[in-house]
Amino acid sequence: MIEFKEVTVVYDKDIVGLDNVSFKIEEGEFVFLVGKTGAGKSSAIKLLTGEIKPTSGDVIVDGIVVNRLKRRKIPYLRRAQGVVFQDFRLLPNKTVYENVAFAMEITGKKKKDIQRKVPKILSLVGLSERANNYPNEISGGEQQRVSIARALVNSPSLIIADEPTGNLDVETSAEVMNLFEEINKMGTTIVMVTHSEKIVNDMQKRVIQLENGVLVRDEENGVYNIGA
Amino acid sequence: MTIASFITVTCCLFLFGVFVIFSMNMNYIGKQLEQQCELQAYMYLETDEPQQRAVYEKVLQLDNVYDATLETERQAFENFKKQLGEDGDLLDGLEDKDFLRSSIKITLHDIRKSNDTKKAVEKISGIEKVENYQDTVGKVLSLTGAVNKGSTVGMIVLMIIAVFIIQNTIKLSVFAREKEIHIMKFVGATDRFIRTPFVIEGIMIGALGFIVSYAVILFSYTPAISTVKDLIKMFDFLPLQSCALQLGVMMALFGTMMGAIGSAVSIKRHLKV
Repeated sequence: MIEFKEVTVVYDKDIVGLDNVSFKIEEGEFVFLVGKTGAGKSSAIKLLTGEIKPTSGDVIVDGIVVNRLKRRKIPYLRRAQGVVFQDFRLLPNKTVYENVAFAMEITGKKKKDIQRKVPKILSLVGLSERANNYPNEISGGEQQRVSIARALVNSPSLIIADEPTGNLDVETSAEVMNLFEEINKMGTTIVMVTHSEKIVNDMQKRVIQLENGVLVRDEENGVYNIGA
Repeated sequence: MTIASFITVTCCLFLFGVFVIFSMNMNYIGKQLEQQCELQAYMYLETDEPQQRAVYEKVLQLDNVYDATLETERQAFENFKKQLGEDGDLLDGLEDKDFLRSSIKITLHDIRKSNDTKKAVEKISGIEKVENYQDTVGKVLSLTGAVNKGSTVGMIVLMIIAVFIIQNTIKLSVFAREKEIHIMKFVGATDRFIRTPFVIEGIMIGALGFIVSYAVILFSYTPAISTVKDLIKMFDFLPLQSCALQLGVMMALFGTMMGAIGSAVSIKRHLKV
């Protein structure tokens, strides 16, 4: 369902983000994207969400060539994706419930549907008790679970997670990763960028490694091991 | 941030309103001057009253003539006497002497054609000569022309400055919500969905600014005009009721448009995510 076809990204001043990268990710897969800082992981994610366009090559998601989408169609692409960031990106002036409901409101969902769906998702991520709290009243792990709930609420087929455990301690990270694994078991494709050796080694999922914009490793049940 | 925008919008609108009302009054004064530049047609001394009437009727039928008044010898004599005031008795005993001519004062639709009208009037028999105060006409025309051009340029400049200021003020409030906009983009919000609340906010700020600045102008106009009138007695100024509506409509449109355009422009950059 995701395909990178000979994708090259060159930024201003001839900085290469990705260099002729090709790979496929099937529906329902769980894939780690690893590599050093500047290896091209962020470029790959930005291509998936339509934030940047490749200099050459095609990025295909669910049969749609993302780089050929008109700008005004991009929001609809993103509704079929859920994005989870390292810094959670919750709205501080909205409660946990409102933060999740917000993602449904902007897609024009009916109030009735929102009232039915949000509590379900909050209970799935174990935050039913926190529905009326504001982000600054809950822990980092809980905030990340809110952002996962927000990513899930529109039932996306793909979840893109950019270092989701980067700001969390080991124990909380494990809880969040369990949540991702459950979501994956329900059939949602997950593409995750991470720097956590422990997580990659524990999960034993497919690993795609980038180095200076080049794909250097793609193995099933891989380990972290990106070298010094 | 909204308070800063509101104050800026109010000040801009107030300036704009003062500008509009100034140029409306200049035009009004221009019209008064134009009407004072009439033609005066003098008849031969030997014409009698029925002949004078006939000439008067012919003048009235000319194309560019807006109005005309006939001043007979007798009336001219009375007016002259009145102008002399206390010295009017100098004229005693001269009542029956034919030394003042009958004349017709003519006001025109369009003073730019005053030369053509002058020629037409001169062709009517019984008319000896026609004065058209060409110099004054020319000066008034160039003055009102300059005022019109000046006020148009001034308003355009003011609009550009205003939109620029508004845009910068609103930019601050957009900046404060940049994170929110960013999140909205990533959850799949359309540009319109994000833009609409900001544009509505801009319109509201414009509308509020309009209400306040318009009220200030309404309350201060009459006292201000009467002060000016004490200094410049020769002209009439527009009474409030005859310019309030037009001014209100222009200010309301200007204010809301400024708000809407300012918001839309400020947010544009933040939508490119």
